[in-house]
Amino acid sequence: MTDLAAATTVSAPSASPRHTTRAGRGAARAVVHLAVRQTWRGALVVVLLAGAMTAVVATGYRATVGDDLDAQALAALAGSPAIRTLFGEPVALDSAGGFTVWRTGTALAVVLAAWSFLGVVSVTRGEEDAGRWDLLLAGRVSLPAIVSRHLAVFVAADVLAGAAAAGALVAAGTAATGAVLHGLGLALVGAVFAGTGAVTAQLLSSRGAAAGASAAVLGLALLARVVGDGVEALAWARWATPFGLVALTRPYSEDDPLPLVVLGVLAVVPIGLAPVLAARRDVRGAWFSTPTHRRPRRWLLGSLWTFALRRATRPFLGWATGIAAWFLLIGLLAASMPAFLRDNPRFAALADAAGFGGLVRVEGYVASLFALLAIPLGAFVAVRMAALAHDEVAGRLWLLLTGPVRRLTLLFAEVVATLLGAVGLAVTAATASTLGAAIVGAPLTWPAALSGTLNVLPVAVLCLGAAVAALGWVPRAVAALGALPAVGGFLLHVTAESSGAPAWVATISPFAHLAAVPDQPPDRAGVAILTCIGVILGLAGLVGYTRRDLC
Amino acid sequence: MSGPALRTVDLSKRYGRITALDRLDLEVAVGEVLGLLGPNGAGKSTTVRLLLGLARPTSGRAWIFDRAAGDVEAAHRLLAYVPADVALWPGMTGAECLELLARIGPGTDRAYRDELVARFELDVDRPARTYSTGNRQKVALVAAFATRAPLLLLDEPTSGLDPLMEQVFRAVVREARENGQSVLLSSHQLNEVEALCDRVAVLRSGRLVEVARMANLRRLHRSEVEASFAGVVPALEAVPGVDGLEALGEGRVRFLLSGPPGAAMAALAATDVTTLRITEPSLEDVFLTYYGTGGS
Repeated sequence: MTDLAAATTVSAPSASPRHTTRAGRGAARAVVHLAVRQTWRGALVVVLLAGAMTAVVATGYRATVGDDLDAQALAALAGSPAIRTLFGEPVALDSAGGFTVWRTGTALAVVLAAWSFLGVVSVTRGEEDAGRWDLLLAGRVSLPAIVSRHLAVFVAADVLAGAAAAGALVAAGTAATGAVLHGLGLALVGAVFAGTGAVTAQLLSSRGAAAGASAAVLGLALLARVVGDGVEALAWARWATPFGLVALTRPYSEDDPLPLVVLGVLAVVPIGLAPVLAARRDVRGAWFSTPTHRRPRRWLLGSLWTFALRRATRPFLGWATGIAAWFLLIGLLAASMPAFLRDNPRFAALADAAGFGGLVRVEGYVASLFALLAIPLGAFVAVRMAALAHDEVAGRLWLLLTGPVRRLTLLFAEVVATLLGAVGLAVTAATASTLGAAIVGAPLTWPAALSGTLNVLPVAVLCLGAAVAALGWVPRAVAALGALPAVGGFLLHVTAESSGAPAWVATISPFAHLAAVPDQPPDRAGVAILTCIGVILGLAGLVGYTRRDLC
Repeated sequence: MSGPALRTVDLSKRYGRITALDRLDLEVAVGEVLGLLGPNGAGKSTTVRLLLGLARPTSGRAWIFDRAAGDVEAAHRLLAYVPADVALWPGMTGAECLELLARIGPGTDRAYRDELVARFELDVDRPARTYSTGNRQKVALVAAFATRAPLLLLDEPTSGLDPLMEQVFRAVVREARENGQSVLLSSHQLNEVEALCDRVAVLRSGRLVEVARMANLRRLHRSEVEASFAGVVPALEAVPGVDGLEALGEGRVRFLLSGPPGAAMAALAATDVTTLRITEPSLEDVFLTYYGTGGS
């Protein structure tokens, strides 16, 4: 009895509400620290990118377009459905702030959105699938609390990125109201997609499926903005998409905060919903789970080569669907865009300065847009090679590599499957744009379109080489280094072209070495050099990959 | 194929300052089951990874049936492997994983594979995502044994299996040995090692501290002797091989005996012994002496 009394006395303080609350807070803080540790590198990159890109374009504004615009050109620009569709509604281009928002806003918003949902899915569903949350959840913090704390860290990073962009605009001497509205808009777009990633991670049971579903939402949001901007009758669609809402704010002209209020609501809904959904599912389970039994599908299991194709098939179909939708739209716009530019030579000059030269012909117009295809192609190859690195870390390659197969064969198989996927995506883009052009009667042949889309493949080869080099030497950075030539190269290209930076800065970007095919003949030297660098990087990666220990 | 199923000479692996494996010399004869024992971090998994060519040795060499372990295309035709922690593609069913491993591996006896699936009671129509640790291990075990490869490298293959499946595993290993296959079995389950292995190798801090036949291993170690006497308790302190002498009272003593027992027996024979009990060390006792600080 005495012992029992003693035990009760000892355990009593730990059961007191005050102690529990303090410990609970400590546990919650530990989860936030964990999320920060997993996030800060990526967050630092997007925050610096938002600040630097905005600062460079805003301060370089005078050097490029500042004095060239007049009211008439602006009116023409704002009236063109095609211009509005592709670049967003141009407002206040006569000010450094307005021009910077128009030029960098969409790109930064897409980068922030993509980083937010990919990151959230990775640190929530990815960690949970890997079994690491089992330990976490044995502690005091509940699943909804863990989800919302991870989400909060990403939202905080988005806010910092928005603040960096706003700060850069203010520092460049533009009006504070416009700067704040633009920064807030960027942050809210990031928050919407962080929330989207968190919701899809509750609904779907695998990391890939959740990331794919979030990417589909991003694609639809962009398309809704494009349709809302381009088709008068559907202008309301802009109120339903984050990208439309930030455009409707019209920083540096109307400075309307109302769309940002709607955007705030759009952000709060998924952010609030994610923990609610998390509370009503099993750990490692999902709202829509895969069937627990099914018949075997034995196709493409015969060798490492076919198995690489099998694993690439589903992601390829996802990417192909998105690319087909986007390039179908490009094709549909092929007739109106060059006509508009011919009637507005002043804007053609502006487009030229901003890196979209030759837009007055159908071929020139599609060539400019085919160049953008290098970004999804580069991202596709980077993501595929990152999947191989992920399989290695997860220990899935052990059973394969204990068969009588060489590591090099495994890597070659993956590289070939990825390259075939990239070629397939290029063919998809060419076919979709030709189809779109055919519907509106624009003169674009399939071979011409194909020559244009295949022309960007060297950038994909460069990305693949960088990804393989990373796999051989720094396997943790495969996705980042693999996507760098395409995504980083594009952002550098845009920034350099819009800021009057020295010429050599622009030439670092692979985009500087792509000719506007089919409007012009391909830049054979550029193609050869990009391909060679890609191959050399790839060979360096092969050496590292065959020499290093596998995880 | 000639020579031992597996041989290493001076095999070493360093990760920075840490020496995970230090000059390992080891052989597994054809048809032999060798148990590889050691505490966590002793270098067991490193040994297996070096044998598989997944990691490169810092120095030394290894052969699988006279083929260099680094020549994976040749060496891996002769072996199958079961990792401690089996990772499968989450979206693929057990049947699909088995099919993939059969097509990529050194060849598979499909009839035997179907038999093993039934014996291990593996539901192959479930996606790997829904498998427990034990079920994932069963997939790897079925795939490995179905190859009928001459050498099986098993790295803690039963850590997730229930006792019934553990019995199935033991039966399958015995069948493999009867078929002339060799097995390297790394395990923490000492009763499993005791039941299956011909010889045992003990690793500690990356070094091989013992390799011996199971019976010899026991002999190398101290037996516990308990004796009671009708008359005077003899003086045993100075007798060679006697250690840890304890007087239990009422003419009873207990001591540990190592090495040849002749001297101790002679000392006992000189007195009036009423009872004598000699307990052979269990494998657990043997390994606790290695695992503990006394084994260095």
